[in-house]
Order: sequence, then C-alpha cells, then structure tokens
Amino acid sequence: MSEQEPQAGADKTPAERPARHGPPVAEAPQVLDARGQASAKLLAQAAGAHALASGGGHDTPWVRVASEHLVDVAKRLRDGAFGAQMLHLIAAVDYEERIEVNYLFLSATKGHTGQVKVDVSPDAPELPSLTGLWTAAGWFERETHDLFGVVFEGNPDLSPLLLYEGFEGHPGLRSYPFNDYQEW
Amino acid sequence: MTTGQHTDTLDMMLNMGPQHPATHGVFRMVLALDGEEVVDVIPHIGYLHRGSEKLCEGESYGQVITLFDRMDYVSNINNELAFVRAAERLMDIEVPERASYVRVILAELNRIASHLLFLGTYAIDLGAITPIMYAFRDRERIQALFEATTGARMMHNYLRIGGLKEDTPADFDVRVSELLDQLRAGVDEIDRLLSLNEVFLARTKGVGIIAGPTALACGLSGPSLRGSGVAYDVRKDHPYEVYPYLAFNVPVGSTGDCWDRYYCRLLECRESISMVAQCLEQMEAGPIRAAGRRIARPPRGEVYVHSENPRGDIGVFLVSDGTDKPYRVKVRPPSFCNLVGLKLMMEGAYVGDAVSILGSLDIVLGEVDR
Repeated sequence: MSEQEPQAGADKTPAERPARHGPPVAEAPQVLDARGQASAKLLAQAAGAHALASGGGHDTPWVRVASEHLVDVAKRLRDGAFGAQMLHLIAAVDYEERIEVNYLFLSATKGHTGQVKVDVSPDAPELPSLTGLWTAAGWFERETHDLFGVVFEGNPDLSPLLLYEGFEGHPGLRSYPFNDYQEW
Repeated sequence: MTTGQHTDTLDMMLNMGPQHPATHGVFRMVLALDGEEVVDVIPHIGYLHRGSEKLCEGESYGQVITLFDRMDYVSNINNELAFVRAAERLMDIEVPERASYVRVILAELNRIASHLLFLGTYAIDLGAITPIMYAFRDRERIQALFEATTGARMMHNYLRIGGLKEDTPADFDVRVSELLDQLRAGVDEIDRLLSLNEVFLARTKGVGIIAGPTALACGLSGPSLRGSGVAYDVRKDHPYEVYPYLAFNVPVGSTGDCWDRYYCRLLECRESISMVAQCLEQMEAGPIRAAGRRIARPPRGEVYVHSENPRGDIGVFLVSDGTDKPYRVKVRPPSFCNLVGLKLMMEGAYVGDAVSILGSLDIVLGEVDR
C-alpha cells in the first residue's frame, strides 16, 4: 500500500483539475413536497439557532450543523415533535477538502424523514457518538470508522466491523487506490 | 455441600461460525455462556465484504444495477428497484404506468420467493426437514417465471432507469395467474404443516422477545420489526410506484417473539399474492420505458430514497457530481440493521435457542457485508 503511486490528480483540489469533457453539469432542483415541508419545519425547530444552512428535495429536508451541536440537535429530534424513533442511516461522503457525514432520521409513527449534515476535516475527523441515543448508531459508526477513518468520541467499540483486523487505510476515501488490493 | 455459598465460575466462550449451516452464510458469533444461558453475544461480520458501495463509484449508472442484484441475492428485483428509484428521483423521471405495474408484480413475487426460502430454511434450523421441499417447489415456479420474463433465475438485471429492459412475454398474465393459484395452495400447505405444530411452537413461542420501542431504536425494520407490533411498512407509510392503488393489510405481531416474526412473513405472502392479483386486473398495455438519453447523467445533487425489501427498509443515499458515474452510493441494508437487535434478543435465552433467534431475523450476508 505505502509503495503505491498516488492516483493521478490526487494532490490537486477538485477546482485545480482539468475541466471534464461532456455536456455542462446541471444542478438537481431542491423542491420539497408537502410532506417534506412539514418535516422541514420540525427539523428547523429542532436545529434552532445551530442551523448553518438548510435545504432538501422531495420528502427529505436537510440541515447543516457544527459537530459540537450534533448531539443536542439529535436529542431534540428524538424527544421533540419530530419523533425520530429511528436513526435510519449514517452516510459519509468524501469531498476531499472535507468529509460530510449525513445522519438520516425517521419517525415510524409520524412519517417524517430528516437529514442532518455535519462536516469534519479529513486531517482530524472527529465526531461525537450517538450511541447513547440510538443503539443503531453503534454499527453505523463502526462502519464509517472502517471506511472513512472518522473517529466517534464515546462509541465504546470502534474495532473493525467490515474490514479485518490490521487492515491499513480507509477504502471509502476517494484517495484510496481504486483497483489496488492487499495480500492477506 | 454447603448451601448459600456462592461459587465463582467463568463464562464459557462458544464460537459459532463462520462456516456453520445455521448461520445462512459466512456469519460468526461468539456466545458467552453461563451454563445453558447466553449472557453475551458478539457478532462478527465482514467475511463477504466486497466493497460494493465503492465499486459503484467506478461503474456507470446502468452497470450499478447489476451490483445491486448481488447485495441481497434472494430479493434481486427489490434491490434493483431501490437503486433505479433513487436515480429516477434525482433525474426527475416519471416511469410509465405499465412499467410500474410490472415492477410491483415482480417485486411482490420476489418477496414471496424470499419468504418461502425463509419458511423452508427456518424449519430446517429447528429440525423439520420436510417444509423446505414444499417451499422450494413453489419458489422454483417463481424462478421459472422470472427466467421467462427477465432471462435469468436470479441475477435479473431487468429494471432500467426509467422503466424496464423489455416488455413481458405474451403469456405473462396467464402464467402469473396460474402461478398465484399454486402459491395460494402452497402457502396454505406450509401454514398447516408448521404454524401450529407443537414442537415448532415450543421452539419459537416466547423465544427471542424484543419490544417495539427497543426494536425501533436498534433500527429493526420489515417483518422483524412488525413482529414486535409496530405497523411500519414503507409501502403504506411512504407509498411508491403503484402501491397507493392497491388494497393490502400490514400484518403485525403482538409479543415480538420468533413465532410472531415467522408468522408475519407467512401472512405477508398472502398479502403479496393479493397485491399481484390486483395488479394483473389494473394493468393495461402501454410503453415500458420513459423517453430519455441512453446514458444516464443525473444532475449534480443528492437524494435519499427508501423502499420495502422482503427483509425490511432498504435505503439508497445517492450523490451525483453530474458525470455518468455516481459520486457516492450508500445503502441502508435491512439485514445489517436487523442484526443489531440480535444481542438484545439473545441475552438471557438458552443456548439451544440461539439458532432459532438468529434464523428468525432472516439475514442475507451478501447484504450485511456488501
């Protein structure tokens, strides 16, 4: 692994890379339907002044918060009017200059879906754990730790889940060599 | 022997798997036993990790469908549906009505096939060898119909972004209604064989109980959640495709034990049969694919879409950067989430019930590990 050449352009930020050929890139419209608007109102209520940005499409609104407010907002989503009984998914996306961690919350009885985005720096990716609020967070966080190297403070067990003990690197990251494999 | 004196004993660690017939794949768990009682269980997964989500980033949108076939490899159509719906929502594509009906017919037949596999193998787990013969007889009939329609028994690659690969064969309606009659009789047969069998009841009733709120916090979904009395079904609560036009019930259990989870699946087979029959009545001839470019290039953005798999609520988080390949695909695998509840169900159970509890979750390791 360590002897591997880095991928072409891995040292450049996306803006510095040569322009892509093909038709111009369109932006997906962000329009919430009636159900999404109702969820967005409750999501904004839970985020309060912590919301840095918001948006969303169809039935899933999102709100961006700073990592130190994540647990507060999640707790209010669970115990407040939103009623998020389920932590549906934790999905990390590597944008190279930042890693965006998406938390998807769902209320099984009220039918709300909501998404909370938190940005972490790829140099020191650290987030507070949600294991105290939802049991489901445990394995999602372990998986995100495996694949993206995000450390979840407070998760009692971050040992490899999908990867084997002693695996080097975080294969979810864009910089991880795509067609490379390790002998085991 | 002195009474009232406490003797300290060490817990016995018992390893089960990864090569064990009752784990339905390469799943390993380490059980901590105090005598006959399970005090702790540590599941180990990842033996089948192929990096499917990472692989998606290197394939075009059309090719990703084949990777979804191979995640939950006994409910392929449902998995394909989860991905194509995400891409369609991102591209704002309206699917023609006939295509939507065919999708639902195949998805529901696929659900029955998947549940038949569960009914058969769960009986084997508990020592009854006969029911799988009946279950597989009927499952094979469904596979034969799939082969005639899609060209493959299992890895279909039949759904496309915007519709279907091709229209159904000319005798599709006739074959499906014949099949439904056979399935009705087949499901009844398994019901009579198994559901109220005294040995089966003794192995499943009151075993592996999980309460509704706990199950939700663990992320359980599908029949594993509905067995605990929570009537959450994506087809009802977040309707998609043509499900709003169909009349169906959501079977729920009461105690959340293994038998409730088993019986929810059996009742769901009957609901699915009725749904397919309604689709056949309502379906009309028409186009099967929306007009559009051959190569999908969704606009830059992200979308989260979830739907009801036989195992539970499958979610697809899709990020597009405007090229012909997804920037990121993240799947919410229902089997993976259902396994989180395993520890709570097993604590305090007898070691002899471990197989019964694991079997009642109906996991598919291709999806757990991706």
